[in-house]
Amino acid sequence: MSRSLTANFGNPSSVHSFGQQARAAVDRARREVAALIGARQNELIFVSGGTEANNLAIRGLCEAVQDHGQHIITSTIEHPSVRGVLETLEKRGWEVSRLPVSEKGIVKIEDVRSALRPDTVLISVMLANNEIGTIQPITEIGNLIREQRQEGHKNLWLHTDAVQAAGRIQLNVDELGCDLLSLSGHKLYAPKGIGALYVRRGVRIFGQNVGGHQERERRAGTENVPAIVALGEAARIAREEIEQRSIEVRRLRDRFEAEVTRRINDVVMNGDRDLRLPHLSNISFRYIEGEGLLINLDPQGVAVSTGSACSSGTLEPSPVIRALGHNDELARGSIRFSFGKDNTEEDVDYAVEVLVAAVVRLRELSPLNKTLAQVR
Amino acid sequence: MPRRNDAHKTSDARLRRTQQFSQRCGRRGEPPPHIRRQSRFEAVKTLKRRASTPLPYTATFKDHLTNPRNVGELPNPTVVAEETNPVCGDRLRLSLIIKNNQIEVAKYLAYGCPPTLVSGSVLTEMIIGRSASEAANLTSAELIEAVGGLPGRKHHAASLAIEALRACLSSI
Repeated sequence: MSRSLTANFGNPSSVHSFGQQARAAVDRARREVAALIGARQNELIFVSGGTEANNLAIRGLCEAVQDHGQHIITSTIEHPSVRGVLETLEKRGWEVSRLPVSEKGIVKIEDVRSALRPDTVLISVMLANNEIGTIQPITEIGNLIREQRQEGHKNLWLHTDAVQAAGRIQLNVDELGCDLLSLSGHKLYAPKGIGALYVRRGVRIFGQNVGGHQERERRAGTENVPAIVALGEAARIAREEIEQRSIEVRRLRDRFEAEVTRRINDVVMNGDRDLRLPHLSNISFRYIEGEGLLINLDPQGVAVSTGSACSSGTLEPSPVIRALGHNDELARGSIRFSFGKDNTEEDVDYAVEVLVAAVVRLRELSPLNKTLAQVR
Repeated sequence: MPRRNDAHKTSDARLRRTQQFSQRCGRRGEPPPHIRRQSRFEAVKTLKRRASTPLPYTATFKDHLTNPRNVGELPNPTVVAEETNPVCGDRLRLSLIIKNNQIEVAKYLAYGCPPTLVSGSVLTEMIIGRSASEAANLTSAELIEAVGGLPGRKHHAASLAIEALRACLSSI
C-alpha cells in the first residue's frame, strides 16, 4: 500500500507506463479478492465499501430488471445499508417482503418459498448478520432460485451481503448460488473505505456512479489504488489464514461467553449457538442500558458496540434483537463483542473482569431490578 | 462620477431589511417559518441527522459517570417519584427526605443512556441542602449547565431528572 502511495502512483486508466504499473497492481488485487470467494476476476467491481456494494447491487440490479417485476424479498435483520436502499425503492413503487427470523435469528427457507411471487426479481438476504453473527441459509435459497428458474421463473436473482462473513468462514459463490455478493475491506483488516461487489457473469446491473469507463463501465471513478492493493493483500492473507483464525477466535469467544454466563446473572445470549460466525458474541444484560455499559467499558480499554437506541442515533433499539422476539429492554441492553486475530486469552480475561465490575455498578444504579417502594 | 446609492444607509431601508429578516427567521426563540412547516417526517430526519454526530463528554460528566453520587433508595423517604421517557425508555427514580421544607437527603436510581445516569447524580448534589421551594424552581437548563453541557439530542436526560424532582415536590 505504501508503494502505491509513493512509487506506484499512476492512474490505472492511463496508457503510459506509470498507469500500467498501477493497473497491474489493481489486477493482482482483483485476483486475490476473487480467489477469496471463488469468483472470476472480471466478476468483481471495486467500490468504496460495503454500503456502496449493497447500494450498487440492489439498485443496479433493480433498475436493470424492473420491467420483469418489482417485488423484492429480504429479511428483517439486514444491515442498515440494505434496509435503506430497499426503503428508497419502496418509495418508488417497489414492493418489499421482509421475512421474519426464528428466535435464533435465522431465516426459514419455507418463508422464502411462500413469499415468492411471479413478479419477484430479487432476494437479498445477508450471509451472516453483523450484530448476532447468525449464518443464513444462502445455499438453500440459491438452490430454491435454481429450481424456480428451471420452472420458468427466470428473472430472479440472489444478492447476499457477505460483509461480516468474508474472511471469517469459507465462501464460494458457486456453492452459495448467489448472483451478487457484497464485501468490505475493513472487516478483512484492510483500510476503511474500500470494498468489492461480486456480479456473476451474465448478470446485468446499471452503474450508479456514471461518467467513466472504470470497472467495465459499472462503477465510474478513478480507482483508489492504494486501498485496492491493501484489500488484495488482506484478502490473500485472510484466505491463507482463515482456518487458523477461525479456530482461534472461536476459542476466545467461547471462553469469554463461558466466563460471562458463569459470573453474571440475568443475561441473554442472542442468536443461534452453532450457526454463527466464530468471532461474534451478542449478549443482552437485563436491567441496564447498552450505551451506559459501553461508556463504562471504554475508559478501561474495552471497545464494544451496542444495540441501544441512544447509541445508534435513532429512536429505536436494535431491530435485529427485536426481530428475535425480545422486548425493548433486552434490545437496549444488548452488547456486541467481537474478537479478532490479535486478541489473546489475557484480553478475554481482562474484558470479563471489566465487564463484571461495570455490570455490577450499573445494576446497583438501576431501578428496573428494584420494586418501587410505597411512600407512607 | 455616478452618484453613490446611499439608500441602503437610510433608517427606513435598515428597518425594512430587519423586518424581512425577522419574517424569514421567525420570532426570537422560534424556528423560522420554513422549519415550522417541516413535516414530522422531515423533523425526524433532522433529529436523526443531528443524532449521528459523536457525543462530547466533559470531565465533570465523566466524573459523575464513573463515580455517581447518592445512588440508591431511602428506607423511609418523605417522597418517591419515578419518571420514564416514553420515547427511549430512560427511567429515573428519586427519593427525598424533607424536613422543615429542607431537602436533607436525596437518592436516585437511573436506567438509560449516560446523560440520564449523570443527570441524576448531579441533580441530587444540587438539591441536597436546598429548600423544597427553591429546588422546585430548578430548570433543565441549569441542570445541563451543572453537568457540563449536553448535546441537544441528550437534553431529554436533564428534563427527565427535573420531571422526577417536580413529581416528588408536587406530592408533598
